Amino acid sequence: MAAMIESMLGAPAGSIVTVRPDYTVITDGPSNRVTELVKSVAAPEKVVVIFDHDVPTGSPEAAFTWKRIHTFAHTYSCKFVQNVGIGYNWMMNEVVKPGDIVIGGGRHASIYGSVGALGLNVTVPELARVIEGGYYSFIVPQTIVVELKGELEGSAMDAAMTIMKKLGSSAKGKVIELVGSLSEHDKAVICGMVCGTGAFTALWSESKAADVTVDLSEVVPMVKMPCDDREAQEQAAILPRSAVRGVNVNAGQIGGIAGGTIADLRKAAALMEGRKLACGFRLSIVPATSKDYLMALNEGLIEKFIDFNAQIGAVGDRSVTWQGPGVIDKGEKLITTGLYTFDGCMGVKTSMVYSASVESVMEAATTKAI
Amino acid sequence: MEKVFSGRIWKFGNDIDTDTIIPGKRGTIPTIEEMKKYAFELLKPEFGSTVRPGDILVAGTNFGCGSSREQAATVLSGNGVRCIIAKSFARIFFRNAFNSGILLITCDGIQDVCEGGDIVTVEVGKSVSVNGHTFPIGGCPDNLFQIVSNGGLIEDTKLRLASGVQPTQAAKLPLEQRGKGNYTMAEKLLMANAGVRDCKPGDILITHPDFFMIHDIYTPYVLDTLHKMGAKKLADPDKVCIVYDHCMPTAVAKNDTSHYNAGLAIGEEYGVTKHHIGEGICHSLMHEMRYAKPGEVATATDSHTTTYGGAGNFCSGIGTAEMCAALITGELWFKVPEAIKVVLNGHLPDGVMSKDVILKLLGDIKADGGQYKSIEFVGPAAREMDMMARFTVANMALEAGAKCGLFEADEKTAAYYDMPLEEIAWVKAGDDNRYEKVLTYNVEELEPQLSCPQGVDNVHPISEVLGTKIDEVFLGSCTNGNLDDLAVAASYMKGKKIAPDMRFIVTPATNKVYKEAIKLGYIQTFVEAGAVVTHPCCGLCCGMPFGLMADDDRLLSTANRNFIGRQGTKKTLSYLCSPAVAAVSAIAGVITDPRTCPHE
Repeated sequence: MAAMIESMLGAPAGSIVTVRPDYTVITDGPSNRVTELVKSVAAPEKVVVIFDHDVPTGSPEAAFTWKRIHTFAHTYSCKFVQNVGIGYNWMMNEVVKPGDIVIGGGRHASIYGSVGALGLNVTVPELARVIEGGYYSFIVPQTIVVELKGELEGSAMDAAMTIMKKLGSSAKGKVIELVGSLSEHDKAVICGMVCGTGAFTALWSESKAADVTVDLSEVVPMVKMPCDDREAQEQAAILPRSAVRGVNVNAGQIGGIAGGTIADLRKAAALMEGRKLACGFRLSIVPATSKDYLMALNEGLIEKFIDFNAQIGAVGDRSVTWQGPGVIDKGEKLITTGLYTFDGCMGVKTSMVYSASVESVMEAATTKAI
Repeated sequence: MEKVFSGRIWKFGNDIDTDTIIPGKRGTIPTIEEMKKYAFELLKPEFGSTVRPGDILVAGTNFGCGSSREQAATVLSGNGVRCIIAKSFARIFFRNAFNSGILLITCDGIQDVCEGGDIVTVEVGKSVSVNGHTFPIGGCPDNLFQIVSNGGLIEDTKLRLASGVQPTQAAKLPLEQRGKGNYTMAEKLLMANAGVRDCKPGDILITHPDFFMIHDIYTPYVLDTLHKMGAKKLADPDKVCIVYDHCMPTAVAKNDTSHYNAGLAIGEEYGVTKHHIGEGICHSLMHEMRYAKPGEVATATDSHTTTYGGAGNFCSGIGTAEMCAALITGELWFKVPEAIKVVLNGHLPDGVMSKDVILKLLGDIKADGGQYKSIEFVGPAAREMDMMARFTVANMALEAGAKCGLFEADEKTAAYYDMPLEEIAWVKAGDDNRYEKVLTYNVEELEPQLSCPQGVDNVHPISEVLGTKIDEVFLGSCTNGNLDDLAVAASYMKGKKIAPDMRFIVTPATNKVYKEAIKLGYIQTFVEAGAVVTHPCCGLCCGMPFGLMADDDRLLSTANRNFIGRQGTKKTLSYLCSPAVAAVSAIAGVITDPRTCPHE
């Protein structure tokens, strides 16, 4: 049986394919620089410009970036989207269909694999060529099939980190094909996270051939450890939480593709019942999209967050912020459901960021320790 | 300090505001040593590196207007400036400057005969001379000269504490003696607290404020100053609250956490237990928590402390050194202000709000028109305003340089505070003849007003700026982030969408307002329209990272200040308006008149 990617592309691993993406995405994350390189746009109706990170703008520089990418969208008649939340989640909820090919300059496009689409990350110069030419050529990668056995009772983030730890660098450049019975939310979280191994992308399938097996009932709380800089992010250590139990933390954040959707907001609220925010701990909650925010509102969750004395942020992607709500100072520690842990990613160097599940963040919120 | 000295002049114009003296974003740098390099950064970038100790500033009117931040004075004294000569000074800056060891001299005329770089000679209490011209000047009050000579209030208080001074007891007037006679509201309130039966403008009265508030911009400086003064305890920690609203959520990585930690430390070391961390804006909480009550005196380390004057509370902002001295001794002196009576007649038309009333007044009397004065609002239209609308007006009275902005206490005040009217009904304005002037407005003739770039008093009626394209709209602040404000905005926005390229930021004033607004459906309306909602805090109003703008961007804001550079770069253009104007303009994408728009 052919690997999923080979069926989708109609070509075997090792062959060169040229695809015309259904969507090419530019955000105000690192991919925003592409607007300085692009000289023409082959298929404007397929380019989506989303301002989703620095919302609301945390500096005049961010406002200049807004102007630049907005002017780009306007000049080339591309769709400009803002105020809706994280681009990935918005695209998944509103736009992307099974079989679509989505190319972006972020790191988590593999999330689209959870809805049967092909999500690819490219470098900024490559993104410029894709936008100018309207196509992308690459060699069909090998596939590694990961079978997830049993029921997941814990957090999808912990499951994802378990998978990532088991794979190590063996999935680098390959397509991770995931097999297992999980909720839509959990599939999206795992798909979005496993590209952290350097994989080409991730997809869900019904494949019978398993290269790696993970027993979901053995999943324990995990933590992605701090690392030195953005380039070292892929090598950041993943450890069982027990290895860092007791480490004092100053602040927590619940948000991002792995922590900001309604399922996770519900979890956070449930974990607030009968408990108090520790004095001296700052907790930010950033719903992933306006849709998630409104659902949380209607379910009474936002009021629970307010009563718990958490700070609720504007919808968007706050995983990397040098200036904006939720940042930490030199020498401080943050535990977050965000996926980045490089020094300075949430404020200034030298600070430490730990990536962990909603459950782990909530525990730290009441104890001030991992 | 010598009585005769000379110095090199730095020349300035009128209305040099505190953001010009030290930009807001620099004002949270933890030490003066670091911060002082940025004095006048936007106006005279060379100042920080070329100023010499002994240099003297010469300026026009209203020098130091704007914020209560003491740093506007300490960055100058830190750079060795010991004297400023101006046509007039803003009132909080006046106090802060003396407390920082800077001698202030009022002189009108020297400005026409000198330029930057000239040498001026000062004979304290006698004259100032430059380029062959001599101008007589007034005397300096002894107690203020003493503070300057001792090098500032910190040194002065240190000496007092070391000599064993103890907090004194308040001696308020009994209820039946309060408010008697033909006096202004400010006079009545000050006399009631100070325990005196008579006073006149210019008198110094010693009050014992009923409540003290510190917010998180100033926590490190308060802690540091209490230590420097040698303070071991406060007169009454139960009368103190600390509000974390400017730097919470922590958004400026290198600064905000230290402010947060300093607040907690003040609590631990000095027994302050009322901490409000990320619960909303200080001035909104002061009335929401009923800390600032009608008939009483409150003070805070912030300029917009005038807000609770809407409830007939005498409230005025002070700098950090003064706050520390007051916290230790329990005392705070006030110079009895002159007063302006503003009579508001008629009914506010649909689409016109109390914000428009105060903006109109500001445009008429300008940023120094209320300098050192109590502005007292009476008349049927004032009485018709609900409490939130009154707080809006009192909040912005500060922008005219006012000491306080006061409304009479009536049934609405009593209901809001759940107090018997008899206890507060004495908070009533005096006869017209007690006032320096009486201004009368018929609010029915009013159209919506906007403060235009780049001064709060650059007020224009909406007809003159209709159709101006706007890039971002901010609905929030202690001025207009209250429930009634959100209600009005929501009434214009239900079922509608904001303009395609519009950024619309909603910041409820407090957690309580946020929850109520959720229950009433306002937040849903805003988000469905395309807004993003931030956590209750000061946010964009004070230039924190919650929507900062770029060159040539136009911001329309319901806040209270549009000084150059405050919400972005020095080329960002900020307009101030009412919640109704903000709502309809967010929908249209351009400045729009709410009177022409449908609403629920």
